[in-house]
Amino acid sequence: MRRPEPLEIFQPASIREASAIVKEKGPGGRFLAGGTDLVIAMKEKGLSPKYVVDLKRVPNLSGICEEADGSLTIGALTTMREVETSPAVCKRFPFLAQSAAEVGSIQIRNRATIGGNMANATPSADVAPALLALEAGVKIAGAAGERTLNLGEFFRGPGQTAMLPEEILTAIVIPAAHPNLVGEYIKFSPREMMDLAYVGVAVALVLDGKKRCDAARIALGAVSPTPMRAPKAEAVIEKQILTEELAQRAGDEAARECKPISDVRSSAEYRRAMVGAMTKRALLNAAERPGPVAWTERRERRY
Amino acid sequence: MEQLTIVGKPVTRVDAEEKVTGEAVYGYDLVLPKMLYGKTVFSARPHAKITRINTEKARRYPGVVAVITGADAPWTHGESIKDKPFLAQGKVRYIGEPVAAVAAEDEDAAQAAAALVEVEYEDLPAYFSPEDACKPGAVAIHEDFAGYRKADFIVSGPMPNVCEHFKLRTGDVERGWKEADLVLAERYSVPTIQHAAMEPHSAHAQVDPESGRVTIWVANDAPFRALHEIAEALGVANEKIRLINPLQGGGFGSKGGLKVEPIAVALAYHTKGRPVRVKFNRQETFISTLVRHECIVEIKSGVKKDGTLVARQMALYWGGGAYAEKSPTVCIRGSLPAPGPYRIPHVKVDGYAVYTNKPVSGAFRGYGIPQGAWACEQHMDEIAKRLGMDAVDLRLKNIFVDGDLAYWGEQLHSVGLKETLIKATQAIEWGKKQPGARPTVKRGKGFACISKPTRTPTMSRAGVLVNGKGEISVLAGTVEIGQGCSTILSQVAAEELKVPLERIRMAPLDTDVIPFDASTTSSRSTYHMGNAVRRAAIDVREKLAEMACPMLEAKKPDLAFADGKVFLKDQPQMALPIGEVVRRKLGNEGIVRGDGSYTYEIGKDLDLETGHSDHASAFYMYATQAAEVEVDEETGRVRLLRMAAAHDVGMAINPLNCAGQIEGGLAMGIGSALHEHLVVDDQGRVRNPSFLDYHLATSLDVPKLIPIIVECAEPEGPYGAKGLGEPGLAPTPAAIGNAVADALGMRIYDLPLSPERVYWEIQQKKKKTAA
Repeated sequence: MRRPEPLEIFQPASIREASAIVKEKGPGGRFLAGGTDLVIAMKEKGLSPKYVVDLKRVPNLSGICEEADGSLTIGALTTMREVETSPAVCKRFPFLAQSAAEVGSIQIRNRATIGGNMANATPSADVAPALLALEAGVKIAGAAGERTLNLGEFFRGPGQTAMLPEEILTAIVIPAAHPNLVGEYIKFSPREMMDLAYVGVAVALVLDGKKRCDAARIALGAVSPTPMRAPKAEAVIEKQILTEELAQRAGDEAARECKPISDVRSSAEYRRAMVGAMTKRALLNAAERPGPVAWTERRERRY
Repeated sequence: MEQLTIVGKPVTRVDAEEKVTGEAVYGYDLVLPKMLYGKTVFSARPHAKITRINTEKARRYPGVVAVITGADAPWTHGESIKDKPFLAQGKVRYIGEPVAAVAAEDEDAAQAAAALVEVEYEDLPAYFSPEDACKPGAVAIHEDFAGYRKADFIVSGPMPNVCEHFKLRTGDVERGWKEADLVLAERYSVPTIQHAAMEPHSAHAQVDPESGRVTIWVANDAPFRALHEIAEALGVANEKIRLINPLQGGGFGSKGGLKVEPIAVALAYHTKGRPVRVKFNRQETFISTLVRHECIVEIKSGVKKDGTLVARQMALYWGGGAYAEKSPTVCIRGSLPAPGPYRIPHVKVDGYAVYTNKPVSGAFRGYGIPQGAWACEQHMDEIAKRLGMDAVDLRLKNIFVDGDLAYWGEQLHSVGLKETLIKATQAIEWGKKQPGARPTVKRGKGFACISKPTRTPTMSRAGVLVNGKGEISVLAGTVEIGQGCSTILSQVAAEELKVPLERIRMAPLDTDVIPFDASTTSSRSTYHMGNAVRRAAIDVREKLAEMACPMLEAKKPDLAFADGKVFLKDQPQMALPIGEVVRRKLGNEGIVRGDGSYTYEIGKDLDLETGHSDHASAFYMYATQAAEVEVDEETGRVRLLRMAAAHDVGMAINPLNCAGQIEGGLAMGIGSALHEHLVVDDQGRVRNPSFLDYHLATSLDVPKLIPIIVECAEPEGPYGAKGLGEPGLAPTPAAIGNAVADALGMRIYDLPLSPERVYWEIQQKKKKTAA
């Protein structure tokens, strides 16, 4: 429903100012980043926030920075398109670039921000599993200062995060990764593009020359109230030589530990089966053909 | 035949630039002076009595000008059964039925006031499938059905809620079963889908307080039919209604009949002469305009060992939704050719259009052909498989060829079907097997054939004006719905007058000015309106020639036209530009007009007992489409690798536009094959009324397409042309279905072929094999 009254919009120039506005105006407001979720929710889903705080005038919230300690900082207002095309991301974590490239269309990715996407806490968000597999953290700022959380602790439920109302997500931090880290993200949805993930699977592995798996991270999207890690599946392959049979077992385990629901898009049983099939495929892809390739080629690998 | 200069050439569409630049103004874009904004209140119950409506709060909302209910609009309409109220009359029959409407000074006020209308219901039993609704003992969704005004051809019953029962009786199927070496019976189903035109529905209406004349601005695909339907409903003369037709942003059948128009008209009677706009958003368009018939098809065939078809029996249950709309004619024209384009001596078909408590079904590009083809063409492949015969050979043994007497009693001519079959299957290298990329990925090929009739008999009239500058205006009631008619009709006029295409303008469509046309439907425009425009152009050319005789001191037979001039055949330097002929005779501002009309003359009407007719259609469109697919057994995903589509168009007036129609049809057909399903739950609610969850095919879901134009000329058509608008999507799902069956070695009987459906079918088969 469209609003009968005019909407109050604030454009603060700092995080401190933004927090202060929320403190003063009280609950019921929303932060605006790219607007690709918020504006649609307001126009078509009856969301009617009391006020909107536009963060786009706050400096230093966007951009991708390779830090001296080997970590990678991605500003909250960095667009999906920037993540997808960033040379640093493409070189170090091509599967993260891939996951960003899976969001909507280019037009949407030119507006949608990675921080907005995380703060919205949609279970099917494409970059969330990739970031979870990279053990990323989030920087949160508020009136009282800044704190850092693991992304795994950050998500609390559909649309719910660990942030207080006046807190703002400022950056995503990907810790320094092992040089042998390889990964893969597979989005499974019936349509080739412009679709939500019915199942999303990200894997990050550290393999030695004999495909022995020194470390394994498996993360799933769209199959539980929040994007989730699959620790039991990870345990299946850790310290083991990755074979097709082992990947299948890990897939079976991931299928067991996910918690999907049935809805108009898909049944829970099918989602579970696809978690199994896609986890296996992601593990084998990551192990067999590592290294950056064009995203169109990466997409082909899901089939 | 004389040399054609522009007909047959792949010219760029005349409306391409204004559309790609966003300049074009569609019905949805219109803003009128002093306009009010309308908002509709929709039924929240699938089948219920309305016990109370309270509009008090809505009326008091600031900015509200009018709030109306069924009591303020006591009118009903319908193409062949007058069963549909402008606003609900005492009861509702589906979720999404318009119950009340608000007109206000702005959209927000209208929206807010609409939410304040209180409606109380008393629920009645509701039916969400045609099979349930027609079971013995089912409650009548239309208890007053017997009292409705109806067209002569309507045959209702014998089961409850059946608003049309079509019968085709040829030979004796019982004898056929005895003569056959193989008898195969199967059941197929097609779900509800929607047109999903890019432009949602809208209508603007204004009632002149003094004359009572109603003006409606609406992108309707049949302005004259809509005008008549409104006048008939209101009980006023046709002259009291005027329709102005802006550009239409796609319709595919959803914008014929009356959709938003009745709400806008009903409101306009309460706004003291101010125009009112009713504009549906996407969700409203999904739940409250029109959908394609879901259909259950039972098919049984008897066939000889050598593949000769002996008998075929079919029963088709068309889910009509809450109102008849075009269900009776979809049932007739979809059921009649459902046994396929084959010679079959013994045929029995029963088509039932059944009311349900779901959104209203009606015309959809293809008009019932895709549903029948989904069953018939897969059934043909199953027969081939059981006989150990190649599927192409089975078709070749039985398909229609020139001179065949079709099972509905019509002698066929200009049948290009065989050529389409051969060319489409060759294009995907039929017979050449290839393995999939992995052991769990299977490849397959398939194809499907169709024939499609057009609405018959119908009339088109046209006018062609030539002014003193030599500019030409074409007056034609064909609506530019994106199909390219303005280009085709411009080419026809330019051809007959021998002028460059740039000189032709299509006049805006206003029923006060434009001559009558039946409709922009049923792939009929190139043939019918093409003939009418051609005749009008020839008429004005003859007038120009007559006028030029004294000027060139010649007799009419000695004159010819070329390059915008009229000249003496044996002295080409003796020439006058056609504009100059007009100026010399009628002065600078003179205009010469030519008129043309075309109606296909039929023999006998369809016989209601046998379904027979010696001219069921002015012409038939024939097509074969072929697909190559890959199916991933681990996920159930069907990937299209390539599709070829060979269509017999009679003659391609514009090959570029023909290829566009074929490719657009394929893209739409691919969506309906792999993704589309408007899900209605067991409470009658549409569960996916948005493009997020209602999946059309995107450009990335469409593989390499190979459009193939076959030209088997139709003698009555303009330059030999038939039609092409609808067949592009008709065989697509069946072709893909056959390819999937070839890949998997098992058949799937229900659409869509979504990954989840295919996956569970594969799992089930694995279980059976294991057990």
